[in-house]
Amino acid sequence: MIVCVAVVGHQNNPLYLQSFTEADDALKLHHVVHCSLDVIDERVNNPKRNAPTLNETFLGLLYPTENYKVYGYLTNTKVKFLMVTTDLDVKDADARNFFRKFHAAYVDAVSNPFHVPGKKIASRSFGARVSTIVKSFGSGTTV
Amino acid sequence: MGREVAESCLDGVVMEMVSAYCSRFYAAKPELAAGRIEAIGFQVGHQLSERYTMDRPRFSDHLEAIKFICKDFWSELFKKQIDNLKTNHRGTFVLQDNHFPWLTRVSLDPSMESTDATESDSASLGDTAAQTTTMLLYFPCGIIRGALTNLGITCAVSADMSNLPACSFVVRIKT
Repeated sequence: MIVCVAVVGHQNNPLYLQSFTEADDALKLHHVVHCSLDVIDERVNNPKRNAPTLNETFLGLLYPTENYKVYGYLTNTKVKFLMVTTDLDVKDADARNFFRKFHAAYVDAVSNPFHVPGKKIASRSFGARVSTIVKSFGSGTTV
Repeated sequence: MGREVAESCLDGVVMEMVSAYCSRFYAAKPELAAGRIEAIGFQVGHQLSERYTMDRPRFSDHLEAIKFICKDFWSELFKKQIDNLKTNHRGTFVLQDNHFPWLTRVSLDPSMESTDATESDSASLGDTAAQTTTMLLYFPCGIIRGALTNLGITCAVSADMSNLPACSFVVRIKT
């Protein structure tokens, strides 16, 4: 179950942050997302020699904490997508699929002429699309 | 999935936008009109580059990004690629397009102008047309600058139209 998704701009400014739990630990989730940004920077700036994924967009599992797993995705325009989930076993293909759909929704939201680049994404239809993508995560449905 | 529009509509919108900014909004101040047109192109390029880099792996250096502009980006926009790319390996790139689609209908020959022109001097007629064409070229310059800025490359783009319909865009990367 996904508990939080975040979009962070290339200057590490938050563009979209949405939690999907009813509990009050939204702040803790924000903190987890913040720490994951450091992991992304480290992965990008110090590529491991034997990793063939130097230029790939999907960064994989970043940060397993006690309850959560954080997955990361970096676009060509240095925008980072982060996904926090409580699932214990997340298939690689599911995570990639999620980020693919999320990227499509993000591109559509940014193409809005009234959206100011660098400001938070304020589109309700983007929020609705993200909720749909999050709900269909892990159930094996492909869109 | 996406809705489609005829290409001639797009050509019409671009021409009318340039003409509106030059003759109506900033009629007495062509530098401001040029700046506005370039800024519009900047935002368009910014958003388009987001869309067209979606399924690609990340670029490793400036040359890769410029090659992306020349091949994929240009073919998405104009259904053709940039014909010639030159570089001095020190941050300057010249992208030459031998048949730029937005300039194919532009003629700078003053003797072809019809009677609805107000100037009687044929030399100034040629100047007006040249000035309008220069204004039109600010838009693709802005598109290129917006796309490169979104990929993390700060640059300045200028256009050179010494022989139509070929034109070249000079990209100077700021280091």
